[in-house]
Amino acid sequence: MSGEDAPPAVALRAVSKTFPNGTTALSSIDLTISAGSFTSLVGPSGCGKSTLLRVIAGLIPPTAGTVAWSKAARSLSMGFVFQDATLMPWATAAENVALPLRLANLPESDITARVSEALERVGLADFTQAYPRELSGGMKMRVSIARATVTGPELLLMDEPFAALDEFTRFKLNEDLLALWQRNRWTVAFVTHSIREAVFLSERVVVMSPHPGRIVADLAVALPGQRDAALRLGHAFADECARVTQSLGDAFSQRAAS
Amino acid sequence: MNGLKKLSRAILPLMFGIAVLGVWEVLVRVYDVPPYVLPGPSAIVLALWQSGGELLQALLVTLEVTIAALVLAAITGAGIAFLLAQSKLAEKTLFPYAVFLQVTPIVTIAPFIIIWVDNTYIVLLILAWIAAVFPIISNTLLGLKSADANLRELFRLYGASRGQTLLRLLAPSALPYFLGGLRISGGLALIGTVVAEMVAGTSGTRSGLASRLLEASYRLELARALACFALLSAAGFALYISLDALSRRLLRHWHESASTLETE
Repeated sequence: MSGEDAPPAVALRAVSKTFPNGTTALSSIDLTISAGSFTSLVGPSGCGKSTLLRVIAGLIPPTAGTVAWSKAARSLSMGFVFQDATLMPWATAAENVALPLRLANLPESDITARVSEALERVGLADFTQAYPRELSGGMKMRVSIARATVTGPELLLMDEPFAALDEFTRFKLNEDLLALWQRNRWTVAFVTHSIREAVFLSERVVVMSPHPGRIVADLAVALPGQRDAALRLGHAFADECARVTQSLGDAFSQRAAS
Repeated sequence: MNGLKKLSRAILPLMFGIAVLGVWEVLVRVYDVPPYVLPGPSAIVLALWQSGGELLQALLVTLEVTIAALVLAAITGAGIAFLLAQSKLAEKTLFPYAVFLQVTPIVTIAPFIIIWVDNTYIVLLILAWIAAVFPIISNTLLGLKSADANLRELFRLYGASRGQTLLRLLAPSALPYFLGGLRISGGLALIGTVVAEMVAGTSGTRSGLASRLLEASYRLELARALACFALLSAAGFALYISLDALSRRLLRHWHESASTLETE
């Protein structure tokens, strides 16, 4: 497993979540995410991966178990990207990105500099004054990523961020996210139901199964750390996708047999 | 192109109106209808011309009450909605009374207000406020509750205070709904003022256009009464147009209702 020696950014111990309506979304989850790592959570719909991400974010409390974050000052150390861009339609791209900093009452000069830097990082330097409805789906998602990363987050949580985009846009955003991560080394927890996307992006793939949501496999991705778009074309990538799919199938059939 | 389109949209209803007025004038003249039963449009225009200054002044009195009541309803309505949105319990307890205020005909409340309050201006203001406030409360409340759930989570994640959430999330989310309520309330405030004037029986220099209409109809000066009616209708229409323009201006960058894509 990658980065065993790195300090954990977040550690979950025996976490369970049962909703008031009786649904058990998560059942005794143990998961440690090391600082600076890129971890994908994959699994079919309803396996509790979004719930797990929200528990990691501290947005919903677990019914049992503990969640330990590495930093006490949590409010600025997390970024969250939702499946849809979730921008404030009444605010420009720059104002949307500025939101986390404004909520933290940072000085205006500081905000301006960090916002333009964040928008530049995602390639939207020319669209700072655009309103969300003037932007394409991919551009909105870029604004959302800029907002989540403007604080220099300790932990970047992404909940199927590219699921609603077309494949061209999705590939491009995957590549850009990869490049951003390789440069900045945020700790990323990335929820997706695409194995190819998970393999392409991450160092580690955590597989979940539903009813109740639990971790059935935890795989290290055997691909070089330094990657780019060309990776998709090679045999190594195809083989790795096949390997992950295979062990995923094994994990599910074992569960079914037991 | 755009100007031409706008013009063509105005031409049809305008031509229809002129045609109706023409037929009306011809019928009144052909059948020799006495002016105390139904004056022709030309007689109404004449009445408007002869006592225009006086009627305009009365219109201003009416509009002053209407606008004051509308502003008051906007502020208190939004305030009440914010309070009700703070707790489900408060909403459940108090909202039925807001409905009560809305469904009770304003004419039936008027006599009590007139007894309890001395100042006629205040009486008019209260009645027009009662007529206008409900759509603002109910629409703003709906808007406050329809703020995006993911954005709410985001605000929570960043530890936003109650005030920050209100200012940066809830208020902007509720704005289109509030403005929708305001457009309805504009007309209601005018109706409230007119009804209040008729019931309260204002007189003298402070009397509004609705009192003038009533006076004229008592004296069977129907041309003058209809001139008052025309002015009131025009004022109501202008009020709606202004509120609509305000709404479009405030929402032009982001809300579908004020989409500018058509004119681009």
